[in-house]
Amino acid sequence: MRKVDIKRRLLFLLAAVITLLNIAPLLWVALSSFKTRIEIFSTPPVWIPERWQVQNYIDLFQVNVPYLINSLIVTLVSTAGVLLLSVPAAFGLTAFTFPKKHDLEMWFLSGRMMPPVAAAIPFYLTLRQIKLIDTQAGLILLYVGVGIPLAVWLIASFMRSIHPAIYEAAKIDGCKWDQIFFRIAIPLSSGGIATATIFITIFAWNELLLPLFLTDRFAKTFPVVLTSFQGQTEIAWELMCAGATIQVLPIVILTLFVQKYIVSGLTGGAVK
Amino acid sequence: MAKSPLSTYGLEKTGSLASRREGFFARFSKHPATPFLIPAVIYLFALTIYPFLYSVGASLFNLSLTSPKPPSFVGLANYKTLLSDGLFYTGLANIGIITVSSVILEFIIGFSIAHLFIAISDIRASHLLRTIYILPMMVTPVVVGLMWSYILDPLFGIANYILGVFGVPPQPWFSSPNTALWSIVFINVWQWSPFLMLICMTALMSIPNDMYEAAQIDGAKWYHIVTRIELPMIRNTVLVGVIFRIIDNFRLFDIVFATTRGGPGRSTEIISLYAYRQIFQYFNAGYGSAAAVIIFIIATIIATFAVKFLPKEAIHA
Repeated sequence: MRKVDIKRRLLFLLAAVITLLNIAPLLWVALSSFKTRIEIFSTPPVWIPERWQVQNYIDLFQVNVPYLINSLIVTLVSTAGVLLLSVPAAFGLTAFTFPKKHDLEMWFLSGRMMPPVAAAIPFYLTLRQIKLIDTQAGLILLYVGVGIPLAVWLIASFMRSIHPAIYEAAKIDGCKWDQIFFRIAIPLSSGGIATATIFITIFAWNELLLPLFLTDRFAKTFPVVLTSFQGQTEIAWELMCAGATIQVLPIVILTLFVQKYIVSGLTGGAVK
Repeated sequence: MAKSPLSTYGLEKTGSLASRREGFFARFSKHPATPFLIPAVIYLFALTIYPFLYSVGASLFNLSLTSPKPPSFVGLANYKTLLSDGLFYTGLANIGIITVSSVILEFIIGFSIAHLFIAISDIRASHLLRTIYILPMMVTPVVVGLMWSYILDPLFGIANYILGVFGVPPQPWFSSPNTALWSIVFINVWQWSPFLMLICMTALMSIPNDMYEAAQIDGAKWYHIVTRIELPMIRNTVLVGVIFRIIDNFRLFDIVFATTRGGPGRSTEIISLYAYRQIFQYFNAGYGSAAAVIIFIIATIIATFAVKFLPKEAIHA
């Protein structure tokens, strides 16, 4: 008995060490964001900043608050848009039978397989035509389209587990389809909707390619700002580290808070 | 297949009779799925089909974003140039190398770590540990690229310093054509091994315990258990994860853009960067559109294969 216990503790220690090593790069960047430029470039490296100074963050916020706000607005509005379209669509795909249903499902799923660059070029030309280049509206319009396939797929995989008899019973009681949708399907698949919301939010927050292609000065999002620290002759690593920390911190917090949804979302479709 | 409540037509009739106030949804009593599906279908249709047709059209023209001249029709000339450009093939080959090596490494690492986390799964803190372990896959890809170019900087990066402590000579990482592609594979594997870990873990946990017990009684060694029981049992689930990873690698852009932008030389060129450059650096919208169309066609072929190989349960989860 005791031998097994010791072995398990050692394994736990091993897992802890591997986990720590795995996120060490993230910690190193967060640590570096409090360093001065001299500390960043010194060899041997300065492990812990001598004085925890927040100058990098101050410098960053002085210029970039509008872009962070852009990121936030585009992320939140597009997530809402995705849900508005995807939740009913997932219901439509799971509660009914109709001809060509399988093809329609595949069509939704195939949206996820499209390489964004193949879409971004036509998007660019289209948005230029309708004068939505470099606007939040233009970005939101496209983010919603990019999010729908994943959201429909995730939510549908949860809605399928609602037993048809429940809908049938509601019909007998005189419920109409909209009532069934709002009062039965949505509450019963709230876990799936939560999972989809988390993923769509994170993906929108992380998106680089579309804003890189489609924005210039006004609607630029924060990930695009991050790439610009490289453009200059000298890379402002201390600013980049602070920027990376700002970008990633909300995701880390969200992930830790909603961990059960993340695991089910990532493995749900593959396993069930 | 789930039996739909609609297949019982009598019920449907009762329902519509019961609704005296004719609502919006009642108008679709013959096709009740329509109002739920139509908005998303129209949206996706407008957002995929229209731009696609537009770029097919644009790819037939000599369309420049900067020149004031009206675009001239050039037929398939853009495609001809594209398919005779060695750089385009380099981009395809590099994607192939990145995809195959990343997915293999991610599986080996993911499978091993999954075993580790299963072995300690009855310790409560291990769930939190697992969540922290999978954090890399949630991190913004462009941050992943920037972060690693900071850590792997050949001159002052912390990685070479740590290697030096162990007596390993400094590596050039992203700055040499010989190592740049493998450095990209490395950070790709760092970010996505946790995904295959999760997939392997859930699949392994669904193997019934008595199979292990039976194997033990028969005196099976650990490698027998892995090859004869575990791998065949988790095959379908892992396949789904692997297919998603293949598709995602084909879409790769952010981490290469943030680290090497295709260089040094053409050693890390990938097709999405190639198309990006055509439009946003050379302003060749026509040529770039042709590249986009070709990428789209290749992706469609891959997706079609993927769907064929995907176990049906995966789609109808």
